[in-house]
This record gives sequence, structure tokens and C-alpha cells, in this order.
Amino acid sequence: MTQGLDRSGAWQRTAAGLLLMALLLPGAPARAVEELVLWHVYHGREKEGIESAIKAFNEDHPELRILPQDQPFNGFSSKLRSAIPRGNGPDLFIYNHDQIGGWADAGLLAPQEVPGDIIAPALEGVRYKDQYWGQPLACKTAALFYNPELLPRPPGNDGELWETAHRETRNDRYGLVYEATSIYHNAGWFLGAGGSFFDAQGNITVDTPAMAAALDFAHRSVMVDRVCPEEATAVVVAQLFNDGKAAMVINGPWFLSEIDADTPFAVAPLPQPARPMLTVESVFVSAYAEDLERAKRAATLLAGTEYEEMRIAEARQVVARERDYPDEVLEAFAAGARTSVPTPNLPQMALIWEPGNAAFRRVVRGASTPEEGAEWMQRRAEILNRPLPPASDPRPTLIVIGLLGLIAMLWTTVRARREQLVKRIWASRPAYAYLAPAAVGMLLLLVLPFVTGSALSFFAHRAGEFRFVGLQNFASILFAQDYPITDPLSFYFTLGVTTMWTLCNVVLHVSIGMAIAMLLRDPWMKLRGFYRVLLIVPWAIPNYITALIWKGMFNKQFGAINGLLELLGLEPVGWFSQFWTAFAANLCTNTWLGFPFMMVVTLGALQAIPRDLEEAAEVDGASRFQRFRHVVLPLLRPALLPAVILGTIWTFNQFNIVYLVSAGEPDGGTEILISEAYRWAFSREAQYGYAAAYAVLIFAVLLLYTRITDRISARAKGV
Amino acid sequence: MATVELDGVVKRYGDVEVIHGADLHIGDGEFLVLVGPSGCGKSTILRMVAGLETITEGELRIAGQRVNDVHPRDRDVAMVFQSYALYPHMTVRANMAFALKVRGMPKPEIRERVDRAARLMELEPLLDRLPKQLSGGQRQRVAMGRAIVRDPQVFLFDEPLSNLDAALRGRMRVELKKLHQRLGTTMIYVTHDQVEAMTLADRIAVVHEGLLQQVGTPDELYNSPVNMFVAGFIGAPQMNLLAGDSDGSGYARGPGFQVPVGRAGVPEGPIVLGVRPHDLTVVAPDQAAIRAKVDVVEPLGWESHLHCRVEDTVVLAQVPAEETAGLQPGAAVGLDVDGRVHLFDRESETAI
Repeated sequence: MTQGLDRSGAWQRTAAGLLLMALLLPGAPARAVEELVLWHVYHGREKEGIESAIKAFNEDHPELRILPQDQPFNGFSSKLRSAIPRGNGPDLFIYNHDQIGGWADAGLLAPQEVPGDIIAPALEGVRYKDQYWGQPLACKTAALFYNPELLPRPPGNDGELWETAHRETRNDRYGLVYEATSIYHNAGWFLGAGGSFFDAQGNITVDTPAMAAALDFAHRSVMVDRVCPEEATAVVVAQLFNDGKAAMVINGPWFLSEIDADTPFAVAPLPQPARPMLTVESVFVSAYAEDLERAKRAATLLAGTEYEEMRIAEARQVVARERDYPDEVLEAFAAGARTSVPTPNLPQMALIWEPGNAAFRRVVRGASTPEEGAEWMQRRAEILNRPLPPASDPRPTLIVIGLLGLIAMLWTTVRARREQLVKRIWASRPAYAYLAPAAVGMLLLLVLPFVTGSALSFFAHRAGEFRFVGLQNFASILFAQDYPITDPLSFYFTLGVTTMWTLCNVVLHVSIGMAIAMLLRDPWMKLRGFYRVLLIVPWAIPNYITALIWKGMFNKQFGAINGLLELLGLEPVGWFSQFWTAFAANLCTNTWLGFPFMMVVTLGALQAIPRDLEEAAEVDGASRFQRFRHVVLPLLRPALLPAVILGTIWTFNQFNIVYLVSAGEPDGGTEILISEAYRWAFSREAQYGYAAAYAVLIFAVLLLYTRITDRISARAKGV
Repeated sequence: MATVELDGVVKRYGDVEVIHGADLHIGDGEFLVLVGPSGCGKSTILRMVAGLETITEGELRIAGQRVNDVHPRDRDVAMVFQSYALYPHMTVRANMAFALKVRGMPKPEIRERVDRAARLMELEPLLDRLPKQLSGGQRQRVAMGRAIVRDPQVFLFDEPLSNLDAALRGRMRVELKKLHQRLGTTMIYVTHDQVEAMTLADRIAVVHEGLLQQVGTPDELYNSPVNMFVAGFIGAPQMNLLAGDSDGSGYARGPGFQVPVGRAGVPEGPIVLGVRPHDLTVVAPDQAAIRAKVDVVEPLGWESHLHCRVEDTVVLAQVPAEETAGLQPGAAVGLDVDGRVHLFDRESETAI
């Protein structure tokens, strides 16, 4: 899980990483053989802190010299998984502990001895299958941030928390602001009530009164007691706190960097009985390290007491040992860490986050009771965590592919013979030479990924293990084997939504685009050129920016659209809590993005229609609508048809809007095929094969569609 | 069928006035041709009648009704465009039926009327074709058929023949004339070709620079042009114009010519002498009214076009072929006027 480290700085890390690579690569002096490479994903203050600790370490222990390399946060784990077994990985790396299970199972990690003075939760965090796999370095937990100007002292327990939250909620101020629909931010109440994500056998156990209690806490704070605003995102939380409009905030240590310099704040541990979820940042030793013993010694020393002082002072980290801290903020985090429960490090933990967050959203918006929500979360997590299909014998498939290949070769040979293809190709050698660069490009950029992706769909992947399963991914998807056909997880449900999404979008894009083009064409319209430019602007802005802007505008509490509705005396709408409104929000955003293209195409096509024709129709007695319907529209069709086909395909795969605006809300209902495929690959524990099968099916659907439209346009051309 | 009357019709685009008050009364069943060089405003007048352009000032009446603000579809006029403006995605039949269809006419009646018009225009074998499968002449006929089908009160033609080759243009001209004789509908026809105007029109209106110069029968315009513009524009080849002076005693004199004006009462003063080329005959240079030098002789078989020069002015004579026999470029030649002499005031360019 990612919460242990700042999530907002991913790109900065990426940029820093690239820069570093650029600096290191060209003139990098051959590094001494004995240097130990250490990868980490820190940035900013923590990066400086860890690197100065390493510098001191290198002076103290020249024989264990460490070379730190910072890496982009995104995709770090998959990078490790591919680099380490190939010998390109680091000797040491620093990361969150929650991936230990997967890494250990994949044989990437070397077990380590851990000193006895590590606090119990951290120790438990790095333990997996009765061995320790990392040297705990720093502890990250959620805590209670509060505004000391509003509260003289923090609430000590649950009862006081509610009381304070109520007292401080007034006018435009909120008592307790946090991301109430996030399982991470609510986990304290689940763990505090004795909840555990898994039992001893690793079975999911979230359908418990403890989870119901956490769900109830979230629902009460937003919908019943209303001490927390609805749809509070990380940005909203930070803004309210900085504006002095939030008395208390539940968040992790990364929130420190989001508080403005002049905003008064203090930190306290989460009130009793909550127990925060602990992320243990640890130094891991690669099982493939050249000299394991040296690497282990370096890890132990680096995480040891020697450099703690530096990490506390410079990186402002809470370390994994009992000790005193120079200020109250770190003290509070340390107190939280003491009572914390580590995030489970089992591989299947990765499958809890998505259903967990979805269940919180369900309960917070009132679609389920807390008990139902817990049950729903359990069921959903179990679906995602369903066992891998049994391995299939790849031979039949290989034989079929081989036979198909053979037939294709035979057929090609026969054709080539009959049409003297070789001779003809030989005769036009220069033409083929000219085509070659483009052909190579197509091969590398289109054919190769396509073939790889298609091949991937015959495999199942979980935790680094690829297993050939033949057509079982397709069977599972097409026969809706693992969930009811009406569930948003079902392929057919999503296909239905995608089709409707595409249809609604294209109809709106074309009709609005055409209407505006017709208006803009009229020569009496003043400032035509200006409007044209203005109307193309939505198209020119990168669409994810537009998507994020619209997402903000649809926010229930602070969005411009609800503000407008309230101004008109209407009730604010929770846009993302019902299917149709969420769908409409996506539709609005994508229509905003999509109509300019159709407008431009229509304007171009209109230029080619002689004005005479319309005048003739006018004299012939046709009304404005009849002229459009019988004269303009049929003549626009040949130009519009390709645009519509293109627009359909774009919209069918319009990932950005769905992912960023509704994010599939509610309950994955507004997800389209492409975003669903993404979720299978990237937020449901890397089920790449399953996602690839989705991609192949998307391809098949679009192929079918283009075949049909080809027919139609061929017929249109015949006219 | 109806009359069309323009009273003081003015058209302005912003500050630019393009039609300066046109008065024109077109009788019921009349074939009126608006003729003039390109850009003179004749098409604008036609488009105002059709309703495709608004009328800035003045009044337009069709069949006695003021129609300034009546929508084109309610004026009951049909128009044939220079480009034919056939709907490219419709068959000939659909093109012809379109106007009836949008008016909600019952299908059997549409069919009958299209068939009738197609018979009239000899379009029957083409009814199921698309415009792009037709030749220029066929398209032209479809455009006319489309107008006829509606049986309108007034037909408007905007240079309908100018996209055709010369031979076809001649044939279509005859067909148009026959059509008019057969239908007897009021027709307004715009062209820049004075031959079309002369051959087709009951009356011609000559337009120049947004002004109606003269309205009259082809005869009147040819024989009695009211000004130099009409004189120069009507008739092919063009009338010869020679600047000179009237001596008050029955002669028009100028450098290289001395022509009797053939009537009394022409006052003394600067004039322009107009003589149509076929009113000239070749005579011996020393006796001649006009003394010229030969430039070029164009023999046409039955006659010759003799291009010559009177001092600096080019003069054309259409004379029997035998009169030009033996004339060499540069040779002196004499011309006599054997016909009507036109005189224009040199200042106002109006006829005297």
C-alpha cells in the first residue's frame, strides 16, 4: 500500500529520478565493485535526510559503501520484480513493508535478523512466514491533526472526539475533516475494535462487527452528525484545514507538508480506542545481492541506532525504536505507532483496498447499512481474490496456433506463387524500401504490443506468477463465472454501460457540434473567427485537466454546479452517489471535450456544400428544418461518417474521463470496459491475464464495429 | 401566372448601394431578360424577386401583392440556377419531386406531375439517375424540369445557359423559347449574353452599374438605344462609335469622317456618331464619308469582317465578301453609311 509515503509527489520523484539517471548515466565513473546499490523512493526532506545518513554511514563504514539511487514511486514494485531476478536490481532497497509477502514468495528478499529493541508492531510488520524480511527504519501512521486555536487540547477518546467534533461544527466550519470514504483513514476504528483483515489462515475477515463499527463511524461523521463534509478529497481536507475551517483532521504524516507555514496545528494520536494502521518503511536485502552478508550488515547498521538521530532531525521520521523525540509532533506520531497495528503484508492485502474503499463509499452515501457494507466488502474482496484457474496444458493451444500458422504460410505461399508476388515485390524494391521505416515502426509500436497483449490473455497472473490457463480467462469473463451477470463487475454489465456511454456521447457530440457549426457558418454572425477559436479551446486543453476541473465542479459540497443549483433554490445533488447522475457527470465532461471536434469537421464539410443548393431548396419551399434534413445533412454525411466512427472508437475507450470524473462510482457502475480492464490490471493485484483478456474482447468489439461501419460507409459512397 | 412589378427598388449592403431604385413592370406571361455586364446588379434584382435577398427600399409586387417580406417559399416562384443546384444525393425524380414533397403534396399527384414535366423536358429515361451521371445539358434540363414541375406563377433564370458549350447553348435557347411559348408563364431571365437576350426576350432590361438603362423590345433596343452603353452592349458585333462634332447643318464631322446624319434639327456641338457594322459599305476612298485604313480582313464566306482604323478609332464593317476582295492590310479604304446613323451627346452619352 502506498499511504506510508507521500502520494502526491510521484511525478516529482519520477522527474528527480530521470534527472539523476541523466546525470549518472553518461559520465558515470565505473563504480567500485564493492559499492552496495540502494534504491529508495523518498523525495524532498526525507530524501535529503536518508542521503545524508548514508553519507555519514559511508564515512563510518567505507567497507560497506552504499550508493543511493532514488526511483520513481509509481511502479516501483513491478520494477523490482523484473529487475532483481535478472540481476539488474539493487542490493538494498527501502520501501513499505506491506509488499513483503509477495516479494518473499517471489524469492526476491533475503531474510534478516532483526534487533530486539524494535517496537512490537513494527516487528510484526516485517514478519512473514515466521521470518523477518526487513530492517524497520521508520513508522508511518495516521494521526489526529488539530487546530490549537480552536481546541486547547485534543480529544483523548472516542466520546470526546464526537463531542469536540459537534462543538466545533458550525457555520462553514467542520469539526472533523478526513477522507471518510477511504478505508485507510477509517482503519483505526476497525483495528481498534479488534478487527483484523485476515485470519491465521489468510482468509479475508472483514465482514465483522469491527468493520461495521468503522463503516458506521464514517457514515455518522458525514451523513448523520455531519461533522465532516461530503466528498472530502485530500485537496479539500488540506484546504479546509489551512483556511481554519477544520478543527480536526485525520491523516498520515505526509499531511505535514500540505499544511501552510502560517497555519497553526498540533498533532495527537488517534483517540482511544482507535489503533492506527502502521506502515513500516524498511531496508530490504535483495536475495540476489552479490554479497549477501555485506548487504545484510549494511542494512542492519543503516537502520540501527547510529543514524537514528540524523533521520529524526533531517528526515523527520519516527523510528522503529522506543526513544524520545525533539518535538511534540513526532512524539504524537510515535505514540500512535506504539498502539498501531501493521498493515497485513500478505499478498492478498492488495485486493482489500478497492472493495474496502468502495464499501465505505456505499455506506457513507447511505446505500447500505454498515453491516451490509461489511458483508459487501467481504464478498467483493473474495471475488477479486478468487483462486487462480488451474493451469492448462499449453500443448493443445500451441498445436492449434502452430497449425494456424502453417495454414497461413501455405496460403501465403500459394497466393504468392499465383500472383507472382515475389517478382512483383522484387520489381518494386524502392517502394518497399520507402515503406520499411514506417513498417518497422508499426511492427514495434502496434503489432508487437498487440501480440504480446493477446498472448498474455492466455495466462493468469498473481503475485509474480504467470500460469498458462488457456481460454479460462475468456470463459470466466464471457460466462460471468465469478459474479452475477448484473453485477458491475460483469463484462456484460460494463459492455452495456460502455455502449450506452458511447451512444449518448456520440449523439451529443455530433448534434451539438453540428448545431454550433451551422450557427457559426452564417456570415452575418459577428466575431465568427473569435467564437471558432473559443469553441475549439476545450479540445485543445489536455483532457485530464478538463476532467479534473469537471470533477471538482461536480463535488457535492464545494462544486460549482451544486452551487448554481442552490442559487436557483434547488437541492444539491450527490452526483456520484447514483448511477444516472454519475453517468451524466461523465457525459457532460466528455461532451464538453468531444463536440469541438465534430464542430470542426462539420464546419469543414459545410464549406464544401454550395450555398446554391440551400437557396434552391429555399425557393423550392423547404423550411429551415427541411433544408437541413433533406439537403445539408445528407451532404454532410460522407464527411461526418468517418468522424463519427473515429469519435465512437475514442469514446468507447475514453479512459481518462471515466477514471478521473466518476472513477466508476457508484460501486463500479459507471466503469467502462477500458477502465475496468485497467482496474483488473492495476488495482486488483496485477491480474494482467484477466485484464489482457478484457483488452482482447474490447478489440474484438471494436473490430466488429468497424466492419459494420465499413459496410455502411461503402454503401453511402455508392450513392 | 402573374405580373411582377418593381417600384423604386433599392438594395444596399451596409453603406454600399448596388441597386439604385429599379422600376420595372413585367406583364403577365411576359419573357423579360435582364442583361448587363457582370457585376451590374442584374442577379441581385433577380434574387430580390426570388426572395433570396432582402429589399432595402421600394416595393416588389407579384400578381399585385406586395411580397417584400414574404418568404421565398410563399412567393410561388421557381428559380433555375447557373450551377443548376441539383441536389447531388437525389435522383432526377427526387430532385424534381422535392418542392412538391416539402409542400406535402400527396404522392400520386407528385408522381403524375413529375412524369408530366419529365415528358415535356424529355427526361423520362433519366429519372432514376443521379445528377453526377448526367451530362451538362441533361442537368440543365433537369433544373428546368424541377422548376416546371411546380407550375409556379413566375420562372426565374439566373444565367442558366452559361455553363454549356456554344452548340448546346444555342439548342437550349430554342428549347427555352419553345417552353415559354408552350407554358406562357411569366419568366425573368438574367444573362450577360446579349444574343440570348435578343433571341429570347419579349422585352429586355439593360442594367449597368445598378441602374436600369433601358427597357424595351429587342427591336427598340437595337434600333433606338437610349444611350451609348445600350448601343454598345446590344448588337453583335458592337456598334462603331466615332467621336466628332455636329456642324448643325446635317453633318457629323470628325477626323477622317464626314457623315450625313440623315435628319434635320441636330444642333451644333460635340457628339458621338454610332454606326452598326452592317450599315457600312465599302466604297472608293476619295468619295467616301469615312476614310479608313485596313487592319485585318476576316472572311466568313458569305460576308467579311473588315477591321479598319479611322485615325485612332477602330471601326468594323460587315460587308459582302466580294467588297473586300483584294484589300491589303494598310490599304486606304472608304466606307459609306447605308442605314441608320445614331447620334449621342458626348457629355451625357444619351441619344440625340
